[in-house]
Amino acid sequence: MDGFTISVLTNIALFSFLAISAWILLIAGEISFGQQAYFAIGAYAAGIATAVWQWPFVAGIAFGTGFGAAVGALVAWPTIRLSGLHFAIATLAFAELVRASLNVFSYQRDIDGYATGPDGANGFRDIRWVYEAGIEPGAYLVIVAGCLAAVIALVALMARGRGMARLRIVGEDPILAAMQGLSVARTKIAAAGLAGGVAGMGGALYAHLATYIEPAQFSVMTGVHALAYGLIGGLGTVLGPILGVLIDIGLLESLRVFSGYRMIVFGGLVALVLILRPRGLLDERNVHRISAWLRR
Amino acid sequence: MLTLQSLSKHFGGVRAVDDISLTIKEGEIFGLIGPNGSGKSTTINLITGLYAPTTGTVTLDGYDLTAMAQHERTAMGVARTFQNIRLFGNLTVAQNLWVAQNGHEQRRAHFLPRWFKAGGEHGPDIEELLKFSRLHSKRDVQASALSFGEMRRLEMARALASNPRVLLLDEPAAGASQEDGQLLAERIRDVRDRGVTVLLIEHMMELVMGISDSIGVLNFGRKIAEGSPAEIQANQDVRAAYLGSKHKDEDLIHA
Repeated sequence: MDGFTISVLTNIALFSFLAISAWILLIAGEISFGQQAYFAIGAYAAGIATAVWQWPFVAGIAFGTGFGAAVGALVAWPTIRLSGLHFAIATLAFAELVRASLNVFSYQRDIDGYATGPDGANGFRDIRWVYEAGIEPGAYLVIVAGCLAAVIALVALMARGRGMARLRIVGEDPILAAMQGLSVARTKIAAAGLAGGVAGMGGALYAHLATYIEPAQFSVMTGVHALAYGLIGGLGTVLGPILGVLIDIGLLESLRVFSGYRMIVFGGLVALVLILRPRGLLDERNVHRISAWLRR
Repeated sequence: MLTLQSLSKHFGGVRAVDDISLTIKEGEIFGLIGPNGSGKSTTINLITGLYAPTTGTVTLDGYDLTAMAQHERTAMGVARTFQNIRLFGNLTVAQNLWVAQNGHEQRRAHFLPRWFKAGGEHGPDIEELLKFSRLHSKRDVQASALSFGEMRRLEMARALASNPRVLLLDEPAAGASQEDGQLLAERIRDVRDRGVTVLLIEHMMELVMGISDSIGVLNFGRKIAEGSPAEIQANQDVRAAYLGSKHKDEDLIHA
């Protein structure tokens, strides 16, 4: 594989974390414009862990994931009782709050004669663990893809068991769900924690690939894209948001056919899919159909 | 067994339910009738906890349900169907049932590991319910793809899956044909024979008169009569409420 292909594939995998994160909340009936905040939180937490505290890589990624999950659940606790639009706006506000806070957040330590750590708007340099360990881009792609596969496996396991149905239930009809004895708030908080963890893991992996991160990278547009991926890819399966990423980054961005018109084409595509298939290309009906066909 | 004591629900100045007292005996089919807007659905919503009453209490076997949340009442054995069918359309038929069956597990300690466990839907209860509801061939079909009649049957099966002691049916014959009404009557008797007390809200007079052991009549949020089907048919107030006082006897019987 050449360097371009590897970087495109790595990008697809990293965006998939964010897309799955937004998708999990969509399943639970909540629209979040703010999952990029957990991506940022994961990136900063993991970067601090490996670069400033000199933790090993795996511990850093785990820390970024856990931190994202904890903040996700914590933020959901007061906001999840807001419904629909109000929750969506709260996520937007929180994401901007995180970005603005990172702009003034400074935490540096002297490592080998260099001040290392986040330095507000100047960003966070030298997250060099992967670089210093001599891990090639191809090998790093395998690591990222492996983590993504683990996330997909976890969600698939939930889909086989009761977890996913729980999320779908509270997403579809909270009143009926409450009557059945499901705690709507608790289920949604769990979903938000899971979504935060998935985004945090993506951010942690991203930080170690980029080696440099700054608050401006985690803008609202990133979050809007993440949401759109699930909406066009489909809400029926966890592969839906990944399909969305593949369409956007794999086709529209990387093939360069549409060059300057990419955003126009993508925006049009989102509008078209939302009109024709309100729950995305791989919606529940299609997934049922495909899985019935596969079983034959 | 299920007792409503001076139950009222006011929406602003509107007295949707006004000082209703009813007692539904164990093992009976109790029909609750009344013209549109007489407070029947509000009464069901008060019993299931969708609304909090303005005054009055709801008790089941002496346990006061009035302050309980909806899911606690479900756990106590109160289940319902909805006038406008309510199902999880994106889940399969079987999943809709085991959701109800496993609904009360949130209080159990091992809450999270269950997220990853398959099963539950393979319990004998679910299979039996699917057979009972003649939905066995549809178990893996998405609920939103069912026909109207199948959705109604699934809704009743869903209510039964929570193992209720009393089942509240909110206009189960709405949109059904005459023949469907006959089948529905048998089905409701079958439910009663399973040991479930039934509170039936219905417009189809023939159905209510045919299968109810006792009947309560509401008008403008107040109870105007209570008694056996024969007593209700003979009651002047009921005739006045339903048909206007000038109509003849046969109209009510044949309505």
